Amino acid sequence: MTANPPATDKTSRRSVLNWLSSVALFGSAVVSVFSNLVFMKPRATYGAPSRFSIGRPEDFPSGTRISLDARRVCIVREGDRLAAISTTCTHLGCIVGVAETGFACPCHGSRFDQDGNVTGGPAPKPLPWYSINLTPNGELTVDTSVEVQQGAYFQV
Amino acid sequence: MKPPAQEPGLAKTVAELPRNLWTSIFRNPLPSSDLGRSATSFTNFFLHIHPVKVHQNTLRPLYTLGLGLISLFLFLILAVTGVLLMFYYVPSTGQAYDRMLDLRGSVAFGTFLRNMHRWAAHGMVAAVFLHMCRVFFTGAYKKPREFNWVIGVGLFLLTMFASFTGYLLPWDQLAFWAITVGAAIAGYAPVLGKSMQFILLGDYTVGQEALLRFYVLHVVVLPALMVLLIAVHFWRIRKDGGLSRPEEPVEDKPLYSMKMVAGTTGLEPGEKTIGLMGFVRGPFTKVGNVPDRSVYSWPNLLIAELFVFVLTVAGVLVVSLLFNAPLEEPVNIMHPPNPAKAPWYFLGLQEMVSYSAFWGGIGIPTIEVLILLALPYLDRRPIGVGQWFARERLLANTLFLLFAVVNVILIVIGTFFRGPNWTFVSPW
Repeated sequence: MTANPPATDKTSRRSVLNWLSSVALFGSAVVSVFSNLVFMKPRATYGAPSRFSIGRPEDFPSGTRISLDARRVCIVREGDRLAAISTTCTHLGCIVGVAETGFACPCHGSRFDQDGNVTGGPAPKPLPWYSINLTPNGELTVDTSVEVQQGAYFQV
Repeated sequence: MKPPAQEPGLAKTVAELPRNLWTSIFRNPLPSSDLGRSATSFTNFFLHIHPVKVHQNTLRPLYTLGLGLISLFLFLILAVTGVLLMFYYVPSTGQAYDRMLDLRGSVAFGTFLRNMHRWAAHGMVAAVFLHMCRVFFTGAYKKPREFNWVIGVGLFLLTMFASFTGYLLPWDQLAFWAITVGAAIAGYAPVLGKSMQFILLGDYTVGQEALLRFYVLHVVVLPALMVLLIAVHFWRIRKDGGLSRPEEPVEDKPLYSMKMVAGTTGLEPGEKTIGLMGFVRGPFTKVGNVPDRSVYSWPNLLIAELFVFVLTVAGVLVVSLLFNAPLEEPVNIMHPPNPAKAPWYFLGLQEMVSYSAFWGGIGIPTIEVLILLALPYLDRRPIGVGQWFARERLLANTLFLLFAVVNVILIVIGTFFRGPNWTFVSPW
């Protein structure tokens, strides 16, 4: 029969080791779950480019309201002022249609006026306006990654 | 010394082969005694999920309505038809829709299998929800079954998510706009919303990456999780003492206690407790003072299960013969259909998000799920278990009925009373 050594030292060393190994095990589990989440987040995407050409200013005579659905923007021309208004509903991302009073969303009934302000339905924000630029070769480009203030028209 | 075993002749070996093969696979003959019936449930891999005996209450059709089993069998039908459909499906935006048309035109039973898969999915959403209602109205979620209710809620959510990821795969108009809206709803979640939306879609817009991700979720991740949770769900039924049932009326027998002289323990002088065994005189012990109302699983439970299975399969077959699964126009990212409606079981949600994207799509559903999860830990009164609409549980049952009815009403409004641009229309 061996006599039990003083309990305190042994117990303390063992509990510290237990504690350390638990932290290491649990920590590596957390890290691997996190790295899987990182894996799920692509670094490059194959989506549509945010900058694209829409043609020459003459293509849009005054009074034009053309919805370029594939690009998800509506080009508005009044006199010599041009605007590119997003047609992606700010509610849940459906494409709004051009209506007499402005824009209307078919999914959940959001309505917007001619400038994209919310006039009804669940949309929380007005439709954003995108920046328009004229390239040296005389073509207009829209950049959907750059939002401009509502009413900030591009002067042709 | 033992004599060496007699070498069987070749002729005998061949003659006995079928019988030897059969008895090596099925080690028990068809049971003719109670011992045999026990052994059948006990030693067969596929049957040992059953207890040897079940309580008669478990077999009452009007108690369970067979809803849990119906959910399971629909899941099995979905697994089988789903694997078959995978042989002809390609998760690519260029091919998915054409594959749907091929399934109709150039695959034997293609339409029929797709119908079965779609209608079984709709049926499973309904069956799982009704099963949850049954468990609530019979008070079956109470102690000790609290955590099994929690697992059940998880299975309900997984069922909804599996059906959501499923109807995106045909890549028709419904698919594209449902995934657009569904991912945008996720984007409204606080803090992590936008990252969640991006990880779900694999891109900023809905396209090939999103289709592939939802496909993997639908055919691998979600079914695997469901199989795991279903296994735990069933295991816990056994460990919690079988299905819930009313408390048995206890026979009025005298309590086994008596006062004896000269106690030595911490009891009052003159008192001593004596274990039950101390009073046993006869050659047997009768355990418990409750009449035994259980029956053998083989064949009683097995026949009941077979009955529900045949009924479920028959139902799915009939519906699949009569109605074709919907397939909308191919994806047109220019024009959402107007109105763009989800399947019926999501129309209540769609009706709610038409008021507020955050509250309808994230806030209220999260609160509802949290309340469902917490229910068995809030309602601790051990009364009214094992009985439909027990009087003592009038308030709880009324509240839950209200919850169910409100959701049904929202679904009815979304289905029949919403027209183009989600405006209110009369169906008449």
